[in-house]
Amino acid sequence: MKLRVSREALLKPLQQVAGVVERRQTLPVLSNVLLQVEGNVLSLTGTDLEVEMVGRVPLIEGESGEITVPARKLMDICRELPDKAEIELILVGQRLTVKAGRFRSTLSTLPAEDFPTVEKSLAEMSTRIDSKSLKRLLDRTAFAMAQQDVRYFLNGMLIEMGGDYVKTVATDGHRLAMSTLKLEGASADSRQVILPRKGVLELQRLLNEVEGDIGIAIGANYLMAESADFVLTTKLVDGRFPDYDRVIPKNGDKLIVADKLELRQALNRTAILSNEKFRGIRVNLSSGVLQLSANNPEQEEAEETVSVDYQGAELEVGFNVGYVLDVLGVIDSDTVKITLHDANSSALLEDPSAEDSIYVVMPMKL
Amino acid sequence: MPRIMQLNPRLSNQIAAGEVVERPASVIKELLENSLDANSTRIDIDLEAGGTKLIRVRDNGAGIHQQDLTLALSRHATSKICQAEDLEAISTLGFRGEALASMASVSRLTLTSNASEDKASGWRVSVAGQDMQASVIPAPHPRGTTVEVKDLFFNTPARRKFLRTDKTELQRIEDVLRKLSLSHLQVAIYLNHNGKLLRHFAPAADEADVTRRLAAVFGQGFIENAIYLEQAFPAEQGGIGLQLRGWVGLPTYSRSQADQQYFYVNNRMIRDKLVTHAIKQAYQDVLFHGRQPVYALFLSLDPRLVDVNVHPTKHEVRFRNGRDVHSFLFSAIHRALADVRPQAGVGSNVMIQAGAGVEEASFGGAGQAPYTGGGGALQPTPTQRAMMFSGPARPGFINEQLQPYGQMLETAWSASQEPPEGEDIPPLGYAVAQLHGVFILAQNAHGLIIVDMHAAHERITYERLKQATDAEGLKMQPLLVPVSVMMSEKECLMAEEHSAQLEEFGFELQRVSDESILVRSIPAMLRKENAGQLVRDVLADLAEYGTTARIQQHRDELLSTMACHGSVRANRRLSIPEMNALLRDMEATERSGQCNHGRPTWTEQSIDELNKLFMRGQ
Repeated sequence: MKLRVSREALLKPLQQVAGVVERRQTLPVLSNVLLQVEGNVLSLTGTDLEVEMVGRVPLIEGESGEITVPARKLMDICRELPDKAEIELILVGQRLTVKAGRFRSTLSTLPAEDFPTVEKSLAEMSTRIDSKSLKRLLDRTAFAMAQQDVRYFLNGMLIEMGGDYVKTVATDGHRLAMSTLKLEGASADSRQVILPRKGVLELQRLLNEVEGDIGIAIGANYLMAESADFVLTTKLVDGRFPDYDRVIPKNGDKLIVADKLELRQALNRTAILSNEKFRGIRVNLSSGVLQLSANNPEQEEAEETVSVDYQGAELEVGFNVGYVLDVLGVIDSDTVKITLHDANSSALLEDPSAEDSIYVVMPMKL
Repeated sequence: MPRIMQLNPRLSNQIAAGEVVERPASVIKELLENSLDANSTRIDIDLEAGGTKLIRVRDNGAGIHQQDLTLALSRHATSKICQAEDLEAISTLGFRGEALASMASVSRLTLTSNASEDKASGWRVSVAGQDMQASVIPAPHPRGTTVEVKDLFFNTPARRKFLRTDKTELQRIEDVLRKLSLSHLQVAIYLNHNGKLLRHFAPAADEADVTRRLAAVFGQGFIENAIYLEQAFPAEQGGIGLQLRGWVGLPTYSRSQADQQYFYVNNRMIRDKLVTHAIKQAYQDVLFHGRQPVYALFLSLDPRLVDVNVHPTKHEVRFRNGRDVHSFLFSAIHRALADVRPQAGVGSNVMIQAGAGVEEASFGGAGQAPYTGGGGALQPTPTQRAMMFSGPARPGFINEQLQPYGQMLETAWSASQEPPEGEDIPPLGYAVAQLHGVFILAQNAHGLIIVDMHAAHERITYERLKQATDAEGLKMQPLLVPVSVMMSEKECLMAEEHSAQLEEFGFELQRVSDESILVRSIPAMLRKENAGQLVRDVLADLAEYGTTARIQQHRDELLSTMACHGSVRANRRLSIPEMNALLRDMEATERSGQCNHGRPTWTEQSIDELNKLFMRGQ
């Protein structure tokens, strides 16, 4: 195998692919990237057995062959090479020689046959979605995914393909985020799948790079996203996602509209003196005024009042401030709409300018 | 099919012996208990071949009447209880009336006794044959009783096969003696083996004798590394009349095996799950991982509140108020350990101080005179007296230090200035220098103090965090998506039954079917933990011990990690005032002798030791 490629053409796809590769490995071949040359195209593949990313790179010159080399080392070398450098990779025996200008190195290799591939059954459904819209769906909900929860199906995101919509839902059992995208033209297909956490993060990374539409195909146990240069395949989480409809509060009768920036800054300030383990913050509502207060085990206290648009009964309710701040972090508009019922019922947060996303946060008993 | 028939007495006694008489040591235990129940003051034991050939126990106790002798060897015959009510309040060590009959069925047993002061009188009884017919002949004997057990298991070869070497059997006998010698300090015990005097426990008249007996059981080092504690939870203060005294080893004086744990209830040595758990919990977060504490503790309570009729060998007991006993033991020992602080000459004088007996340890258990030292009883040090608390403490969350830590810090700083001339030097002295960025060297009245800076600061931070968090109380985090936990029907019923208690811990549970419950709320501190596991553990604790420290343990783990990150690390330069402030903080902090993981935080090298090192003055 032998190839010549410009640094600029190789680096981006290589970084994208190497992102999938885990740093610590028990299986040595998994820390490698698979290089396959066919004609003047190089395919790069990285995998962690759950998520697989394939990138295609146009070559200046190529000679067919395949091999695997340490992903991170190859990427680091390319990154440190000067702009516009021309890189030459030559497989000599069991070693891959990397040459560029006056730089020269040899990397250890492992045979390409040992490289595991994600098994793909036939796609059961496929569609094309505007990548910007899909990215918006993911960005607005991904923060609410659980991390290393024993309820493994929460460590991921629910993607629901309805007849004329796509919906993403994420929850860690304490809060929930949901976003919906209306699609043009109805199709009869409808499916619910759970993407693992890492698959979601990699898909987000990929969408940053893609213009226009992206093809989505769903098989029995995988989801594949395909753009011109990349193919991302992620296994699906086999499990039953909580019924999100039951979690969304419908009895909210206390409506608050607040300035997002002002509320966020006030929360940030008050949060400094909340308990750092559970970050409890007290919210006192009265007509036109929202009062925030927090105290920590050292008996230090903070308090701030924010003017809000609220007419209703007085209410005191506690929250983990982190959950509220996470929501304010993804809302684009200048104001936020909060709907409450009582101190024990969940709160509904919405972006008043865009009806597509809703957020639910469970209060805390302080 | 064979027909049903009545077993002959020897056979039925042999079956009973199967439970009680396991090896020579169990014979010794039963015989000694009889002697002690007869108020003997001197017991002589003669053994041959580790007790397999001959066991002879002679005492100077009350003796047995001539007419009662044959009865004494028959089953279900005893002088210790006589009616059903007595069974509810057993104050003697024995009560089943089976021991002598059982032993007689598996050995050649003779019993010689004299209940009068006339030395010439006395009778001997022995049994023979399938029906264990007893024959009584006159035999002169001083007041008291002698029991001779020869050829143990001569007629039960199966049992004989399980006996170990003479040496091992002898060791087990000595073990029994040691246990009994701790609870019966006023009794003299002589042990002869193959005609030679092997052990001699003199009656303990003063602290030195008590110390000697303790040393015989625990080894020499124990006394210097133990805290004496004495606490009561009298009935007047809403308690159930519990009294605890004894010695608990310092956390640094721990063992890898749980083999030096002696717990006595009304002077009866027992091994009880509830007790072990309470003590283990008290040692939590001062004991190094996997180490076992060392202790000799004596609990006295109204015999009606404890049922010893649980197991034939009476190793187990059942407390009527298990939960109260558990929380009393826990808080008593927890407090005693918390109070271990650097103080002048820690070690020996923490233990026992000679002097006029102010408070006498009165522990009349099995019908014997309370131990009173000749002129000087076991006397607690001022700190120990201060910690004698009364009234029940809430299990788990104890507000341990009353002063807010800010105040502590203030005094520490003001005290951290240059050593004032002529004033008392604090126990940990004044800092001299920092060594390799890890240790603080300080000088006190006795010599050199070496402090592990990080370990010490970690403990201080940890104690403060615990205190602050206790004051704040537990917060509940309701779940948006409740966790469904599959449980057995029994666990579900428990969950319903204890729902109020669980709510105190921050759990809100809802039963949804026979075998599953929904967790609707969890403690806010523990929101990242596995809720199902946590609930199951808590329920298991509640079922077993009636109380749980699970939540506190998990919380403490979190605080411990926080403390570790929030403490000064190695290679951080500290100025002299900073080091002095740390030393003062250590003196004021509970459990400051160990870091959160049970490692020691400081050590002392006295001037004497240093002198020895350099052969000064030799």
